[in-house]
Amino acid sequence: MTQSPPRNNWLERLYAVALRLYPPPFREAYAPSMRQTFRDALKDRTLSRRTLIPLVLRDLAISLAKEHLAMLRETFSRPALLCNALVLTGLATGLAFALYSIPQQVLRLGANDPQIAMADDLAARLEQGIAPAEAVPAGSIDLSHSLTPFLIAYDDQGRPLASQAQLNGKTPTPPSGVFANVRQHGEDRISWQPRRDVRIAAVIQRVNGPQPGFVLAGRNMREVESREALVGQLAGLTWIGMMAVILVGTAVFGWYTRPRTA
Amino acid sequence: MATGTAPAAPLSPAVFAILLSLAEGEKHGYLIMKDARAPQGGGVQLGPGTLYGSLDRMMRDGLVEESGISDDERRRYYRLTNLGQSVLAVELERLDAAVASARSLGLIPHGGRS
Repeated sequence: MTQSPPRNNWLERLYAVALRLYPPPFREAYAPSMRQTFRDALKDRTLSRRTLIPLVLRDLAISLAKEHLAMLRETFSRPALLCNALVLTGLATGLAFALYSIPQQVLRLGANDPQIAMADDLAARLEQGIAPAEAVPAGSIDLSHSLTPFLIAYDDQGRPLASQAQLNGKTPTPPSGVFANVRQHGEDRISWQPRRDVRIAAVIQRVNGPQPGFVLAGRNMREVESREALVGQLAGLTWIGMMAVILVGTAVFGWYTRPRTA
Repeated sequence: MATGTAPAAPLSPAVFAILLSLAEGEKHGYLIMKDARAPQGGGVQLGPGTLYGSLDRMMRDGLVEESGISDDERRRYYRLTNLGQSVLAVELERLDAAVASARSLGLIPHGGRS
């Protein structure tokens, strides 16, 4: 039996240390054979060290990455694991959507509350024959800034008769289609955008009687929309948190239930 | 466990070189590496990691199988399966057709090494 030169022993020991970097199942299956192959290569006089060492270093870098990726693929691409993760992702997304949409609807519907009563009262007063200028309280609310609810009375053609509110120095008028719809159904509740940066929660009611027309009660939605945005952010953060929990949970579960053989 | 699913052509250089080396008979890791490195074996520089990674996947695909272990259990011997032989034959036919085509186009001199 021939003794290996000391340098070979040193290189082999170094290679044995590097073999510990392979994924455990692969290492358990092939490390002794790989070490023996490296030993054979060191003994082969037709293969110079200058060829072998760069070859083995390159091979280590490439095959380590390849085997770790293969292990990750085998660990995490199992159908049952992926299916569980997908179902949980679907449930979390549905839950986050509900967390946003339910409060958003409550906030939006709540934004109509004072206007419903105000429009009702004004319509009733106009139907009793009270003049619009008398029935609509005096005031000049700037729609672009004020959050105060306001009233506007329109004639049967949709022309303003009396108004508490102004936008750019004029009484704003909703699109004619809104009046046509109210004429047909008696009432409409809309989000009205008289200017790009102004959104109004508006309740429009039909006025019957000797002087038919319409009343509009509205309120700037700025505050409500900022609350809706906050709800959206909280729902978004909740969704990201749930995704992180699902990701970590899937990774941990996948790791502990991974296939143990190479 | 062998799945018996043959890899799609063309084979990777490592898989082709291993199949070609084992076509001669059963061999252990370093002999396969040495054959692969030789010009007639494909001239593929295989390191131990790539060699055993490829052998592992080829065993799963049913192309090769272990035929024995040395007394000290450090050398494993491998041989081709019937599926491995078929896959190698198909690949050689494909390469042969490509070489014939190159020769007819005058890219390889007639009578030259192919």
